[in-house]
Amino acid sequence: MRAASAALVAFCVIAGGAVQAQEPVGAAIFKTCQPCHSLDPAQAGMAGPHLAKLGGRVLGSAEGFDYSPAFRAAKARGLAWDRERLLSYLADPDAVVPGGWMSPPAGVSAADRAAVTDYLLGK
Amino acid sequence: MLRRSFLKFGFAGLAAPNLILRSAQATGQTQPGSPFIVTYFEVPEIKGSRDVTDAGDGTIWVCGQRNGVLGRFDPRTSQTKVVPLGDGAAPHGVVRGPDGAAWVTEGGQNAIARVDDKTHKVDLFKLPEGRERANLNTPVFDKAGMLWFTGQNGIVGRLDPKSGKMDIFDAPRGAGPYGMTRTPSGEIWFASLAGNYIARVNTQSGSFTVVDPPTQGQGARRVWSDSKNRIWVSEWNSGQVSSFDSESGSWKGWKLPGDKPRTYSVYVDDADKVWLTDFALNSIVRFDPLTEEFSSFPSNKPGANVRQMDGRTGEAWGGESGTNRLVRIQTVKPA
Repeated sequence: MRAASAALVAFCVIAGGAVQAQEPVGAAIFKTCQPCHSLDPAQAGMAGPHLAKLGGRVLGSAEGFDYSPAFRAAKARGLAWDRERLLSYLADPDAVVPGGWMSPPAGVSAADRAAVTDYLLGK
Repeated sequence: MLRRSFLKFGFAGLAAPNLILRSAQATGQTQPGSPFIVTYFEVPEIKGSRDVTDAGDGTIWVCGQRNGVLGRFDPRTSQTKVVPLGDGAAPHGVVRGPDGAAWVTEGGQNAIARVDDKTHKVDLFKLPEGRERANLNTPVFDKAGMLWFTGQNGIVGRLDPKSGKMDIFDAPRGAGPYGMTRTPSGEIWFASLAGNYIARVNTQSGSFTVVDPPTQGQGARRVWSDSKNRIWVSEWNSGQVSSFDSESGSWKGWKLPGDKPRTYSVYVDDADKVWLTDFALNSIVRFDPLTEEFSSFPSNKPGANVRQMDGRTGEAWGGESGTNRLVRIQTVKPA
């Protein structure tokens, strides 16, 4: 019985480790975005809009969010998020949406940006 | 208690009778009857001109968040010295240290950068392993000469500039620590944007005393103390400016002009006048706590996005991060 319990504990530890290891890199990087953004459309009061279903979404179109004039203009032009645009935006937001309110994400590498882009566009 | 303000200039004031605009290198002139001179300085070498502070010799330090440099701008000559901070640099905040150097929250390299004010040599103090991507925000020195700083991903840090020893503390409620200030009595306070609170730091233990503003979900973004140890708070979500009397524990609050203000930054000058920035109206807004009146200084360019202000006697300064400019508002003493 004791041996079985030990085996069970060992399995849980290993399985837990496996679950942790399976966390996508992009999900880990996304934690740096979470001070301002959520993946839950119902989460109110964030400084930035929610990022659920971002792939193909028109810029400035998260319902109920009070966007900058720059993003409202981008919405009026019908610009949508795709991989290239999001990668460029994360590297230098002002270069893609001049006058937008988001600061450049700090301390994230090109690989980090690629990972979080793929993560967000897959959500 | 929240109180509506008296709006002296308000929306109508956006065509402001007290507003004088000066381009790039022009020196401002006082419009008859106006107590302010507004001057804009082009600093194309400083991309994403962000936080600023007085360098103590007439020049202004400014962070170039988009191109990873620290600038030193001289308004007397309109010349800018550019100090590269390193590969991947993205400086956010800057403060002048007791040693005269500029101390920078250098989020790009996840480090505190010291830039010598005489040689412009850069020294980096990296955050310890396990604290990657802290999203460093605002630095402040305490009276003992220790550098305190915030990281938006949920940390408050302390650096001993002499030994280089750094301690990192987990902030209450996780992500959110943003602006930081020191009161005349020596207390260190910070705001948490995502946490919706302000907090006093116990500088000995690294523990915190959280104070919740009266408005729920207000989005406390930046803080600045006045001469009476009152903590002024820019509330991003509520569009208010509020003040917390750290001695009596009482609050006051005022909504900025306009329908849906977005109060980004706050700075209190040495006359206890409160300088705010409102992203919704693309304006710097001055608040006089005595008269409870606002004066608006809209930028002459769209998307100016002044994310922080600082100053010196008679001058309030900000970086227009969206236009690569600096803005100076001089307060003219009555003749």
